[in-house]
Amino acid sequence: MANVLDLRRRIRSVKNTRQITKAMKMVSAAKLRRAQERAMQARPYAQMLTNVLESLVRRSDLFNDETGDVMHPLLVEREEKNVLVVVVAGDKGFAGAFNSNIVKAAQNFIDSRRAAGQNVDVEPVGRKARDTFRKRYPAAVYEKTEEHYDNDLSTHFETLRHRASPIEVTGDHPTMLLKIQIDDVSDMARDIVERYTRSEIDSVYLVYNEFKSVIAQRVVVEKLLPIRKLGSHEITAAEEMSEEQREAAAHAAKTAGISVNVPEETVVEAEAKKFGTAEVDYIFDQEPERLFRHLMPRYVTTQIFHALLESAAAEHAARMTAMDSATNNAGDMIDALSLTMNRVRQAAITKEIIEIVSGAAAL
Amino acid sequence: MAENTSNSGLLMVRLVTPDRVLLDATAEAVELPSRSGYLEALYGAAPLLAELGAGEVRLHGGTSGDQKFFVAWGFVEVLPERVTILAETALHPNEINVAEAQTELQEGEKLWQEAGDDGEKYDEANAVTRQAEEKIASAEGKST
Repeated sequence: MANVLDLRRRIRSVKNTRQITKAMKMVSAAKLRRAQERAMQARPYAQMLTNVLESLVRRSDLFNDETGDVMHPLLVEREEKNVLVVVVAGDKGFAGAFNSNIVKAAQNFIDSRRAAGQNVDVEPVGRKARDTFRKRYPAAVYEKTEEHYDNDLSTHFETLRHRASPIEVTGDHPTMLLKIQIDDVSDMARDIVERYTRSEIDSVYLVYNEFKSVIAQRVVVEKLLPIRKLGSHEITAAEEMSEEQREAAAHAAKTAGISVNVPEETVVEAEAKKFGTAEVDYIFDQEPERLFRHLMPRYVTTQIFHALLESAAAEHAARMTAMDSATNNAGDMIDALSLTMNRVRQAAITKEIIEIVSGAAAL
Repeated sequence: MAENTSNSGLLMVRLVTPDRVLLDATAEAVELPSRSGYLEALYGAAPLLAELGAGEVRLHGGTSGDQKFFVAWGFVEVLPERVTILAETALHPNEINVAEAQTELQEGEKLWQEAGDDGEKYDEANAVTRQAEEKIASAEGKST
């Protein structure tokens, strides 16, 4: 059996660990609060953009009168042969099962699509997702061609995709989560829309951790393109939190002073819902079709942006919960070790007394 | 809030970016850079929905005085008593980094050179260039 000195050393080490996990928990709680706020502040814009789109859809003819075709490429539904899945995970570990849950959900999705004979492109966001999928699948190869004609007065660029394997990683965004900025997301969305428009991919899905509050989260697979109904999230698969996880999260939130309720709607948000929906005939400065064409890519951007913000909040919440249970475990361990230490010490004392007593008796 | 301003002849102006609500104020008149040129909205204007170009939003009068903001790309809704501006980028003129804008301008010119015969790429290049130009102009207080 270990001696008292060893046990004391062990207890000191666990105590240090507990302090670190406790600090990490509080840091995550603070970051979570900020992330939550950010997600809230981003809502009015998303709501208003959707409203403008809806009001435009009502007014402008999206369907060609003669052929009945949908006019905008982002609304066209094609047979799904090539599917793009954007996987949003975190940059860092120490967040419990956060990253592995997302990767698992994404892998399930990829496998099921593959089983249906579809090609899958993976676009990971966040270092954890990138590291995983980069290891599993090869990177996609693009070829940029340049054609010159009219004595070099005119150049034609084209991007060609050479698909070598049914599942490929098309691009990654390792730094996007450091500071989620609309410009970066906009670039990514534009790239996706471009690929969709030139029929390289037939549909786009988003795998991320949805975050309503600390105890209301789930990993979802959301269909991004083609857009079937504006303003609604089309969830094709969802993994809810287990009762156990919910309890752990609620405990962590309570001890860190974070509300578990879904934040209430602000005045601005309530008014945002009315944006562009007044019962009046708007004068359109440009033709509705043109407005619509410019709006669609922005709508996609906002959807991804929203997913990133929620995922960031969820990551902090997951880390906070993980660190809370680590702190609790450390506490339990200290208790158990202290008990053993006391027992060992007592045993040593008892042994010494017996020795003295029996020594005295032998005299 | 609506009751207070409904008869005062003041417009309620709200500037919203993807990140946050940047401005919530009142004004007598608002100048807006739409895609097809500047327009000015006064109290009681006819309902209008326009696409925003790059340029300056200027608020005149109102409780918090005159204010200027650089905005780029988005939408604006004008209602008789309310103006809501949805901008992808919105900055206070003091926040503009001129050096960065210069780089953007060069990038726009580069894009323009490379656009080839692709109409959409031209549009994009023009958009980048215009945004950079307006940004610089706004920072120097010379916006048209």
